Amino acid sequence: MQKNALHILLADDDEDDRLFFKDAFEEVRVQTKVTFVHDGLQLMEHLMQPDVKLPDILFLDLNMPKKTGKECLIEIKRTEHLKNIIIAIYSTSSSEEDIEDTFIEGANIYIKKPSDFNTLKKIINEVVTLNWHYHTSGLNRDNFLLRLK
Amino acid sequence: MPKFNSSNSLRVIFVIAVFILLFLSSIAYKHNQDLNESSKLVMHTYEINIQLERLMSAIKDAETGQRGYIITRNSRFLTPYIYSRDKVNTSFISLKKLTADNPTQQQNLKKLFKLITQRFISFENCFIYSNPQTYDKRKLDNHMFGGRILMDNIRFKVDEMNDIEKKYLQRRQKIYDQEISLSPVFSISLFLAALTFIILAYRQISRDIKRLIVYNKRLLISTRLMAESEIIGKFSTWQWDLDLDKIDYSDNQFRLLGFKPNEFVPEKDTFLKFVHHDDKDAVEKSIEGIITDQKLPFVYYKIALPNNEVRYFKSTGKLLTDQQGSKILLGINFDITDEHLMNIELRERNKELEKSNQELASFNHVASHDLQEPLRKIQTFISRVSDADKAVLSDSAKDYITKIEVSAKRMRVLIDDLLLFSRTNTTKKEFLKSDLNELFENAKSELTEIIDEKKAIIHKSKLPKLEVIPYQIEQLFINLIGNSLKYSQPDVHPEITIETEKVLSKDYPDLLDQNIKKFYKISFSDNGMGFDPQFKETIFILFQRLHSKTDYPGTGIGLAICKKIVENHKGHITAESNIGKGSVFTVFLPE
Repeated sequence: MQKNALHILLADDDEDDRLFFKDAFEEVRVQTKVTFVHDGLQLMEHLMQPDVKLPDILFLDLNMPKKTGKECLIEIKRTEHLKNIIIAIYSTSSSEEDIEDTFIEGANIYIKKPSDFNTLKKIINEVVTLNWHYHTSGLNRDNFLLRLK
Repeated sequence: MPKFNSSNSLRVIFVIAVFILLFLSSIAYKHNQDLNESSKLVMHTYEINIQLERLMSAIKDAETGQRGYIITRNSRFLTPYIYSRDKVNTSFISLKKLTADNPTQQQNLKKLFKLITQRFISFENCFIYSNPQTYDKRKLDNHMFGGRILMDNIRFKVDEMNDIEKKYLQRRQKIYDQEISLSPVFSISLFLAALTFIILAYRQISRDIKRLIVYNKRLLISTRLMAESEIIGKFSTWQWDLDLDKIDYSDNQFRLLGFKPNEFVPEKDTFLKFVHHDDKDAVEKSIEGIITDQKLPFVYYKIALPNNEVRYFKSTGKLLTDQQGSKILLGINFDITDEHLMNIELRERNKELEKSNQELASFNHVASHDLQEPLRKIQTFISRVSDADKAVLSDSAKDYITKIEVSAKRMRVLIDDLLLFSRTNTTKKEFLKSDLNELFENAKSELTEIIDEKKAIIHKSKLPKLEVIPYQIEQLFINLIGNSLKYSQPDVHPEITIETEKVLSKDYPDLLDQNIKKFYKISFSDNGMGFDPQFKETIFILFQRLHSKTDYPGTGIGLAICKKIVENHKGHITAESNIGKGSVFTVFLPE
């Protein structure tokens, strides 16, 4: 692995989704290292390890067993050394409520899981090449939900 | 409160009249007394007069007897003379008694007595010198003449005494006359005044009685009304005179407690006996609270009737202090059992509704997550079948994959629309003052692609600013315009005209909520293919489609969403059309 590879963490309980995600990242031009966790508890355990390398971007599914994505989001944002991790919500749901709640709790972007592999690749490309500093400073309810051009 | 003048003015009138009458009667008494006095006085004078006359006649009798005896020497003539001495003495004693209060007369009487005594001595001397044995003509003449002078003196004295009495009587009469001379006029005028006062009082009383009768009638009516309304309204009143410690229940209070009116005499703790044991402490406390707080805020409690039936009561009360300073507690009890039971039922229904709402929400969740997930995977997996993979498949397999793709896409649209429909109802409705022109532009930009493709022309008049749920109105515009574009006539450029007009709800009594006065009527007319007017109601029903899905793909949800959105805004939507003549969708939104 390259030293400057982008560190990506995906928390998702669905095996197929993890597979799509892994395949999509392999086709993305940017150098990345992708780690997977299967549920909310595992995610928090992973992040709380003393010598863990924190991810550059955390892709967080909302609908997970044991601990939901929302709970994880709240916990991360309230933990001093984790709160600066860029969090991309990655969910099947596109309900206003979920979008609103995660925006308020401080997630950086909301991605609705696409139903097309090519779209997924485009999304991942978009997200990993995004200027986070620029995006976060101009973040509002309208550009929080990722829409591909 | 009616004002009765009699109470105070009558009292004054009566006091004055009583005083006048007392005064008059005292004057009459005095008058009577004086009359008595004067008649006594007259009698007194008269008696003195008679006694003096008697005295005189007795002396005259003696004189006559003496003369007879001297002339005839017949001793028979001496009898009156002998008796006269006694008569004189009797009269004298009477006179002495009669004049006891008058020293002048006493003095005169003494002098008279001396004269009479001298006269009788002169009689004796005459007898002596007329006696033939002792006859002396000169001495007899002397004594006879002296007797004559004495007689004159006696008469003079008697006249003097009579005069004194007469004068005294006259003087007394004069004083008396002076005293009472004014009183007849005065007393008659006083009597008239008293009469006037009494007549005035009588008039006042009769006038007040007339008014009293009127008020009494009104009072009777209002009491009856009150009693009737208590029965109909299921409430009752009670009064508690704190000073007399007397409690009165209205008739209906007895009825509400399961008794006949006045079947028992209420006391301080009677009511508490009816209060259900659960609420006894609270009610007792609130009754005590009235006395300190002067009023009773609404208390709610249960009542146990004699037949063990439980009724629900609501009570309120107030402390009243009347003009005399006595304190009276007034209270109203309402029997709210029916409302209470209805409330319980309503609450239960509400719970059921909430439950079914929750079920609906969880159904939404299922639709948005659990149904979407496998569908999304089907679509993703199909998208992973690359062109290279397809090349090795048989034609029929390729065909099947395409059909799976189409079906999955259609299912996605269905789920999305269904979600959109349910969300128009369940998501929170935040009304914001919005410029509908802006929302319209947003909707138009969403539809840019199809507008350009169909070369559609949209004429829009100025839309108002309204209190709306912005994203829903935007959705409404998208659906209505999208609908017109979708069902346009082949080979004709779609033309959509949007017009706005302010209307009054009373002009559309069947369509619009009459509690809202003004509406905006926004109509969307197109030159599309139109539809059979018999379907103008059904097209708004969920999943109702007028065309086969191969000709016009769709879910039959779009117009149902429109209807729902308009209803969320307390508005109304109608559709008018004829086949081949275009359609008009009219939206009414409250101002």
